[in-house]
Amino acid sequence: MVVLELKKLGYRYEDGTLALKDVDLTLEEGEKVAVLGPNGAGKSTLMHLLAGFRMPFEGDVSVGGVALEEKSADRIRAMIGFLFQDPDDQIFMPTVEEDVAFGPRNLKLDDVDSRVKRGMDSVGVSTLADRAPHRLSYGMKKRVAIAGLLAMDPALLLLDEPTSGLDPRSRSELVKLLKSMKRTMLIATHDLEAASEIVDRALVLNVCPVMKGTMRDLAQAGDVLRSAGLELPPLPMLFETIGQKGYEVDALPVTMDQATAELTRVIDREGRRRR
Amino acid sequence: MHVPDGLMDPIVALVGTVEFLVVVAVALALSARKTGEKDLPRVAVLCAGIFVAQMLNFPIGGGTTGHLIGAALLAIMIGPTLAILGMTVVLIIQALMFGDGGVTALGLNGLNMAIIAPLVGWGVYNLVKPITKGLSRTGDSVAVGIAAWASVFVSAAACAAELAVSYAISDGAYGIAGAFAVPAMLGYHLVIGIGEAVITVGVIAYVSKVSPGALRRAAVTKSAKGWLSNITSSKVALASSAILLVFALALPLYFLYSSEGSDGLEQTMVDAEVEERDQILSAPFSYGESYFAALFAGLLGFLAVALVALGILKALGRGPAGN
Amino acid sequence: MPMIVGHVRGHSHILPDLDEHSKSHWFGRLDSRAKIVGIFSFVVVCALLTKVELITASLVLAVAIAAASGAPVRSLAKAYAAAFPFMLLASVSVFLFAGIERGLEMLGRTSACVIALLALASGTGTFGLFAGLRRLRVPATISTLLMLTYRYILVVSEEFFRMRTARKARGFGGGRSLLDKYALNTISFTAGTVLVRATARADRVYEALRCRGFSGDITVWRTSSLGRSDLVFMAVLLLSSGLLAAIQTGWVQW
Repeated sequence: MVVLELKKLGYRYEDGTLALKDVDLTLEEGEKVAVLGPNGAGKSTLMHLLAGFRMPFEGDVSVGGVALEEKSADRIRAMIGFLFQDPDDQIFMPTVEEDVAFGPRNLKLDDVDSRVKRGMDSVGVSTLADRAPHRLSYGMKKRVAIAGLLAMDPALLLLDEPTSGLDPRSRSELVKLLKSMKRTMLIATHDLEAASEIVDRALVLNVCPVMKGTMRDLAQAGDVLRSAGLELPPLPMLFETIGQKGYEVDALPVTMDQATAELTRVIDREGRRRR
Repeated sequence: MHVPDGLMDPIVALVGTVEFLVVVAVALALSARKTGEKDLPRVAVLCAGIFVAQMLNFPIGGGTTGHLIGAALLAIMIGPTLAILGMTVVLIIQALMFGDGGVTALGLNGLNMAIIAPLVGWGVYNLVKPITKGLSRTGDSVAVGIAAWASVFVSAAACAAELAVSYAISDGAYGIAGAFAVPAMLGYHLVIGIGEAVITVGVIAYVSKVSPGALRRAAVTKSAKGWLSNITSSKVALASSAILLVFALALPLYFLYSSEGSDGLEQTMVDAEVEERDQILSAPFSYGESYFAALFAGLLGFLAVALVALGILKALGRGPAGN
Repeated sequence: MPMIVGHVRGHSHILPDLDEHSKSHWFGRLDSRAKIVGIFSFVVVCALLTKVELITASLVLAVAIAAASGAPVRSLAKAYAAAFPFMLLASVSVFLFAGIERGLEMLGRTSACVIALLALASGTGTFGLFAGLRRLRVPATISTLLMLTYRYILVVSEEFFRMRTARKARGFGGGRSLLDKYALNTISFTAGTVLVRATARADRVYEALRCRGFSGDITVWRTSSLGRSDLVFMAVLLLSSGLLAAIQTGWVQW
């Protein structure tokens, strides 16, 4: 089932500068896709546009089969869970559980109690139910925000730079969490490392689409990435470097698992050669 | 200028509360028609900004500092209706959370700072702007400055009036003697107003340069037909109505005061007798409240008439051009 | 950041986050509507007392309410101290023009009101207070604005303090007088920046709220209903206020 479909999507800012051009993308249910690009590439604008906050635009957008336009914007927002870059923009009720309940209550969804409980459980903030969210750490605030979105049971999750501002520990916890969630999600980020762990495939965007494919496919095209303003993350970069020194691999790895596999293969190969 | 509970005479406080509630109710009704939910978070954040801005100290001289009220700033940025609601919210938070202001005093504080101040600020701005814009490049800033100063000065005058009337009608149990309150309040706020003017001008100039979208002027709706629509569609005419409204709000106070039986001079004498008892300081101005009453009515009346005349001329299509 | 800096009459003053104590104390668990109605009635009556004995009684009652609220004495004292200067200013002119007795009455009266209100606020928590006002039929526009504004005071004041520290680090001392053009420029710049950033944040907040189905009214999920202790509390306050008012107006002879 197609959850999100973009056809030749274009958008200009109020002052006329081009923000997006000719963007095509399709998301099936359960897929996790990343939109990669440097700052200013239009990723955030794309996210806000999908949530119905940037109109008018060129091209077609449909969420859950519903075409996006002024009249349908509210309906579509009810199907979407949008995680903002700054959790302080999103959280404001005095306790965690009140904030998680906010979405379901406003949308008049049934069984708010169990929704809130499930939302909090899935991100691990149940013990903080009575706490004031604005006293929590940045990472915890993000989790509370995510819980609030999950409680609405959205068909599509939009995440705007989810790993920005997090310390290494919180970042890896969030990555693990997003990886484990069985939800359709679109992640806008320039954190290629995190993206590699979470998503199945990605779109590189720099106002116009630059490249599409799985994360591993993209890693092979280091030059294209660099020209689009991105850097290869450490893992593939390492293997690219040692490949230039003669220890080549078939395909540059992007995840830890892939890297381990490739490295052991290289070591075995070299070991056999020495004998 | 935040007056605490128990300072004003209960009748004055009651009059103030009634006027305040009526105007806020009207503002609520008007805002429901004109604005969508988009404005609530924006107004809230601007209110938070105004609240924080009220914490700013600006130097006056000789080591003393003054504070912003921000009503004119808010009114020029989001229009008078929303500014009334916004300043009300700021006052409620200050009264309940910080003990700055009060519950019975909310009506009067609201009247002064949430109704009179923004209305005067917005009204004066829209009446003066067409004139000064033609004069010089910085015409808009001049209008902003005058408007901000006026909003502080007039609301201080209103507060002084309320204090003086409270004192007069309660034989000194409440309020502050007009002979002291009026010169003190007016003198102090004459200077404070200058600071507010300078900073308001600076802020508006900065904001319009950096982020013009933030300066959303209140849209004027064309509702009724004929001559009424002519008035409601002219910002200048609306502005004069705002000034008229401020004057109208002050009327009950004047009636309260003068209804205390005698005319001005006799009143002063009666007051002088009251002051005889434990007096430590004698009033610097012996003409006391009668002078104040005349001054108050006369000055505001003249201003109001002049501005309204200007507004009517504008609405009829004559006079300074431009809206 | 749990601290709110309140600036009253020129005194910088830090209020600890008053919302935390409320939940554990019996006062905090009372229905906020009962607390609001009870304490507001008390304050209204206090504001019209002129007889010395009644004012003293009301002061004692106000302090009793403060004690009952469970708020820490130090924070209440600090809050009272911050509100004191204007009360004093008002009383000074009364002292000078109408005598010491009248001055003390004025001071006592305003103090009783302020203490009672501070006890209400610190024992109830801000959000609970605003939600209580909403349940008492205060229009949604006002209550929603109150909640949002309060939430954003915390955020905006943080930004302001960061700017102020940066300013101080670059040697800005506050200026000498109104003629100090540089100082006033800097102050306008600070105020302007705070407002511009605030507006940008407001637009993001609007979008975040709309994404979660917000349509103009913010209400509390876990609401309480009026119980016995709430009614008892209200009755005690209403009766004592009524008694004070009756004696004041001469209806009842003391």
